[in-house]
Amino acid sequence: MKAVVSSEWLKLRSVTSTYHALATAALPIVLGIVWTVYVTGLADERGSVRAAAPEQGFLPLLQTSLAVLGVLAITSEYATGTIRTSLVAVPKRGALLLAKSGVVGLTTFLAAHVILFVTYATSRLIAGDHHLGFNEASFADEVPMLLASGLSATALALVGLGLGALIRSTAGAIVSVVALLFVLPGIAIYLPPPWNTRVATLLLPNLVPQIAEERLSSRLGDGFLPPWAALTLLLAYPLVTLAIGYYALKRRDA
Amino acid sequence: MSVLTSEWLKIRSVRSTHLILGLGLGTVLLGFALAVMAAGMYDAAPPEKQPGARVANLEEVLVIVPQLCLGILGTLAITSEYATGLIRTSATIVPRRWPILAAKAAIVGALGLAVGLLTTFGTYVVTRGVLGDRFSGAYAGAFTDRLPLLIALGLTVPTFALLGLGLGALLRSSAGAIAIIVGLVYVIPMVIGNIPEPWSERLGSVMIGALPRQLIGGSNASSVYGSLLPPALAAACLVAYAAVPLLAATWLIRRKDI
Amino acid sequence: MVRRAGDPPPGILYGVIELHHLTKSYGSTLAVDDLSFKVEPGHVTGFLGPNGAGKSTTLRLILGLDAPTSGQALVNGRRYTSLRRPMREVGALLDAGAVHGGRSAYDHLLCLARSNDIGPRRVSEVLDQAGLAGVARKRVGGFSLGMRQRLGIAAALLGDPGVLMFDEPVNGLDPDGVRWIRELMRSLAAQGRAILLSSHLMSEMALTADRIVIVGCGRLVAEATVTELTTRYPSLEDAYLALTSGSVQYGGAR
Repeated sequence: MKAVVSSEWLKLRSVTSTYHALATAALPIVLGIVWTVYVTGLADERGSVRAAAPEQGFLPLLQTSLAVLGVLAITSEYATGTIRTSLVAVPKRGALLLAKSGVVGLTTFLAAHVILFVTYATSRLIAGDHHLGFNEASFADEVPMLLASGLSATALALVGLGLGALIRSTAGAIVSVVALLFVLPGIAIYLPPPWNTRVATLLLPNLVPQIAEERLSSRLGDGFLPPWAALTLLLAYPLVTLAIGYYALKRRDA
Repeated sequence: MSVLTSEWLKIRSVRSTHLILGLGLGTVLLGFALAVMAAGMYDAAPPEKQPGARVANLEEVLVIVPQLCLGILGTLAITSEYATGLIRTSATIVPRRWPILAAKAAIVGALGLAVGLLTTFGTYVVTRGVLGDRFSGAYAGAFTDRLPLLIALGLTVPTFALLGLGLGALLRSSAGAIAIIVGLVYVIPMVIGNIPEPWSERLGSVMIGALPRQLIGGSNASSVYGSLLPPALAAACLVAYAAVPLLAATWLIRRKDI
Repeated sequence: MVRRAGDPPPGILYGVIELHHLTKSYGSTLAVDDLSFKVEPGHVTGFLGPNGAGKSTTLRLILGLDAPTSGQALVNGRRYTSLRRPMREVGALLDAGAVHGGRSAYDHLLCLARSNDIGPRRVSEVLDQAGLAGVARKRVGGFSLGMRQRLGIAAALLGDPGVLMFDEPVNGLDPDGVRWIRELMRSLAAQGRAILLSSHLMSEMALTADRIVIVGCGRLVAEATVTELTTRYPSLEDAYLALTSGSVQYGGAR
């Protein structure tokens, strides 16, 4: 197993697409700085502004980039045919998918949290004691949101990996992740109440505020899940998709 | 002309095309389901609450589905050739290369237009049929009143198809091109909603999602989008989304080695 | 390597492939039909048959990429998928194009090597052996078909296995490369390894193989030594054409 993990780790870091995905995922740091400088300037003119926190405003960018990284970890093997070479080297398909999950999970977990905490730290440093709305809570109050956000990006990357194993097509798997991240929540909002909140409360991106005990949005109000249930559901998303992906990988001819 | 027929055959002979077009047209079913659900909720609500009940413009909410589908169809029309190496064969048969891109653009553009109009009109007709005069007659008005918006919404779908084709030809990577489309449709509008004025309004006006209502001289109030563009500029903006990446790609495909 | 009592002394490699009533159907199409034969150590066994006769499917079944409908394929007495470090027992070249174009030749091989606990020194050795040392750090995407074949052969040799399978290894190779392969096969067999070589080039086959297995429409048509065939027929090519003419036209007739 150690050998397979080390091989998968090398696979991930020896292709440029990984670095493109990580660079895009890190854009929130740069955008966060630009953003904070901009709203700080506004606050100088107006006294105070109510601006969104950059690590939350730019979270979808981080989530999408890392999900694409997870998808490509397996679909690029199908696109090039390398999957057959990989399965000849590691015929135990469960071990292969488990090693990929471990490597993708750990990489995206670290990347997401480093990016989020750096975005948080730089924006708060630049903000200083300006009244920007987002810099008024203490760090301790923000930690649950930061951890939940990072965890959601990791979960999405693993969901991407599982869907990639199932669908075997880059385009198909990315679209499915996008459906989960944007399309379903976007449509759920327009369901007649109370169904909008009932459905939205279960959707992956909405689990982040529920873990941090915050409301979903001004329109949807509070979610129905207590933090522990939201966290369990957030972990269940990648587990279930990976299990389905494993079943497909195991059963089908490569 | 022969390039056009051969490209048409290429696109219609792959399974992913059928899947994507099916998903895109499936929007009408989704609209039907949402309308049935909304009608049920309305009928179950106590009479004194019914006058205040609101329903979203379903064809406007759901247009993102065919937009995304056709964006991906446009992308795959070219990136799948790069992925399989078929592009080399294509470029050998059509050495001037740009006709390949032009023929693909004509086909995905036409498919986009057909799917776009079918889904927006289909969703409208189905929703109108289901909802009748519920929700204070939101769907009971004259069809001609809604017509301009339906056409404007439908026009965004071929725009996405051509944008996908252009981005795919520029990046030569399905993942990269699809990620940018997703960024344009979902990520940037989400971010724009959080930007303070006046930039929120300015940037919000040039997003693709903001263009249909500006095209017909309407306003995007109560959404993240802005309404600064007159119809002519909105039309120019819509054309630019499709044309700029495609023209850049045409220039690139003639210069770069395959 | 599996060694049993009575096996050749250490230093001599040993390997064997056995097919027992191997059958694979895709829907109603029988791709491989009750195929039984043995690939003996110390020989190059040529694997012949018309296009679509089931040669590649047989190789994929041996490697566990496809699951047999019935029957089994054993490598050194075990199913391929049960091997712990399969590359040390079996090396295979299936499709030289099955590589991620963005990876360097060295990284591609190191990914495979790591998954089977093979050290980086061995990677440099096989790159040398395949004549790719000079382009080891170049992206595989820029390789010619011949260079990809050499890379695929280098990958098959990585684990220094006792069993080797090659599907059309001389495709795209220059005359130097063709001679290199021929001599490589013969020397690998002389060390006691079992070599299964699938090819359509009769002249090459006559120069390289000792034994021939011919399949048609998924069924065994003939199993003989090259000498036996060339004494009964004017040439190996004539033997092949005479033996497969029935199976090409009538579907599986012996």
